[in-house]
Amino acid sequence: MIRRTPTLVSVSMMALLLTPVVSIAQQSNAPTAVLPLTTRSAKVRSLMDQVWNLALDQVEQAKAIVVLRQAVNIDPNFAMGHQLLAQTSLDPAEQVREQRKAFATRTHATPAEQLVIEWFQDSADHKLIPAITAMNTVLSQYPQDKWVVFLSNLWLTQQTQYERATVVFEHSGLDSPGLLNNTAYTYAFLRQFDKAFALMDKYVAAMPTDANPQDSYAEILRMAGHFDQAIQRYRAALATDPEFYSSQFGIADTYSLMGDQNRARKEYAIGFHKFPLPELHRIQWQTREAITFIREGNFSAADHAFQAIANHAHSKQMSQVEADTYRQMAMYQRHPKQALAFLAKAEAAMDQGKNTMPAALQQELAQILRARVEADLNLGNKRLAGSALRQLERMSQGSDDKLIDTAYHGAAGAVRFSEHKYADAVSHLEEDPNNPLSLRLLAVAYQRIGDNANAQRTNETLANLNDPSLEQALVVPAFRTCNQDPNCSSGLKNASLKQ
Amino acid sequence: MVAFCCLAQAKQLAIVADPSNPATNFSAAELVKIFSAHTRTWPDGKPVTVVVRDPSSADIQMVLHKLLNMTADQLQEIIQAHKGSIVVADSDEAVIRFVSGTHGAIGVIDLYSLTKDVKVVKIDGKLPVEQGYILRGN
Repeated sequence: MIRRTPTLVSVSMMALLLTPVVSIAQQSNAPTAVLPLTTRSAKVRSLMDQVWNLALDQVEQAKAIVVLRQAVNIDPNFAMGHQLLAQTSLDPAEQVREQRKAFATRTHATPAEQLVIEWFQDSADHKLIPAITAMNTVLSQYPQDKWVVFLSNLWLTQQTQYERATVVFEHSGLDSPGLLNNTAYTYAFLRQFDKAFALMDKYVAAMPTDANPQDSYAEILRMAGHFDQAIQRYRAALATDPEFYSSQFGIADTYSLMGDQNRARKEYAIGFHKFPLPELHRIQWQTREAITFIREGNFSAADHAFQAIANHAHSKQMSQVEADTYRQMAMYQRHPKQALAFLAKAEAAMDQGKNTMPAALQQELAQILRARVEADLNLGNKRLAGSALRQLERMSQGSDDKLIDTAYHGAAGAVRFSEHKYADAVSHLEEDPNNPLSLRLLAVAYQRIGDNANAQRTNETLANLNDPSLEQALVVPAFRTCNQDPNCSSGLKNASLKQ
Repeated sequence: MVAFCCLAQAKQLAIVADPSNPATNFSAAELVKIFSAHTRTWPDGKPVTVVVRDPSSADIQMVLHKLLNMTADQLQEIIQAHKGSIVVADSDEAVIRFVSGTHGAIGVIDLYSLTKDVKVVKIDGKLPVEQGYILRGN
């Protein structure tokens, strides 16, 4: 596994070398320069070594957060400490609070540290071009500093700029286990599995007595479709550390992707029985368990399982989780009116807005609006679909939030597709390249405009997608069946475009 | 488990010029003329020098498809016919180095390679981060 960000929204880093191009950097910093971490406390400097080991090498994010909190308590003017805590925290409120503290205390730090803080502040303020410029200036000065490489890798991955992230790692020459792990995932996202596996071999060799290297190897094997080997790796992780619960659920997820839903549910049950789980992790895997019913076409059982999750979220006043659960229920309904009824429940939960950051509420609202556009299209109500799309467009224009932007482009692509405006559809759907619902339309839209090479590439991407998400469950198995069936005509494929 | 998944990245390309170039915006039609060597001088009389990655690179494929409406072979012919005014660089960093050090130079890079040594110019009034920007895609 790699570090996680605290969201339940179900959307789910080359050969060129970076040559320092900033003349000031070339004059003042050798490539091996180390970014200073300015603090008046020797204890804090020692703690930061611990943070690196915990956060990166051991992927013990919760423990790393505890140590970072300790560091900024000892030295409240430790600006980079606040910045790293903002980037590491699993609590959205703490992320916002610590970003503000980092910016407020930056005058206690060196110019280079200030530039790092401005980079993330610009990013938080949706000023992308200044953020990119600041990142590349810091990188040109400190191309081999582990914190700079880590932060660049992390930020670029969040921006889905995987190629650029791998360049930063390759140019650094660093071989920290944590960076090996992160970059292996990045190559896997690029579907360059040979490079991912080579880095995983190094990661496992560097930390032979830890569970996470085996767990990560398993997940990447699964992404590549090597399910049996993935399960072996997950079992090796559990043999190394019987408390490493994500591997137990990784086994369950893998069986589900293999099509063995009974075995998957047994493995989920083992995990729920055996491990005390953080609330959000429990809900995440309960949702995966509910998806097993969708994979086998048992929609009433899926309704029952999802409704139990929604009820639990409601009782715990987790409004965004409740809303997201109802949204997911809407997505697999076969009758558009039923889908719209669940979306109304999702919106009602959103109106409660309990225990949820405003940004998360906006992201969820965008996801709901996208689902509403698709349900309205399935119902043939283009007027309502257009109305929901315009609301989503206004949100996208006003926010510069990646999740909201992709929701808008996915919905706009679906509308243009329904209007047979395939070139327009392509330009929107290309902006939502990680969602199987959009990929399915994109492949057909490419075909309709005569771009057969991109149609084929998109079909191959879709057919080889092994992500245990609801969207994958809704699209990929049926797509594979049709793709492998010579009798599955383009007409049938078109028919399958409706959920 | 990962926080986000995982297939492809949406690319954004930036048109960059040397910071002394007073232009802040070009129309797509103006850029087509510049990149196909029909426009050879700037309004102040300085020669235009275009710097691009290899025509077969993925980024230039997007420029060819979305902006220039020509094939890689056609661009290669233009490059061969206008050596000196169209330069091929082997990396975004080389593009930036050339543009920042050459008055009248203009190039195209991945937005995420951008440094403070060059300036981004708008296309049809839009920056790369804005909706409707032409050089965006998968």
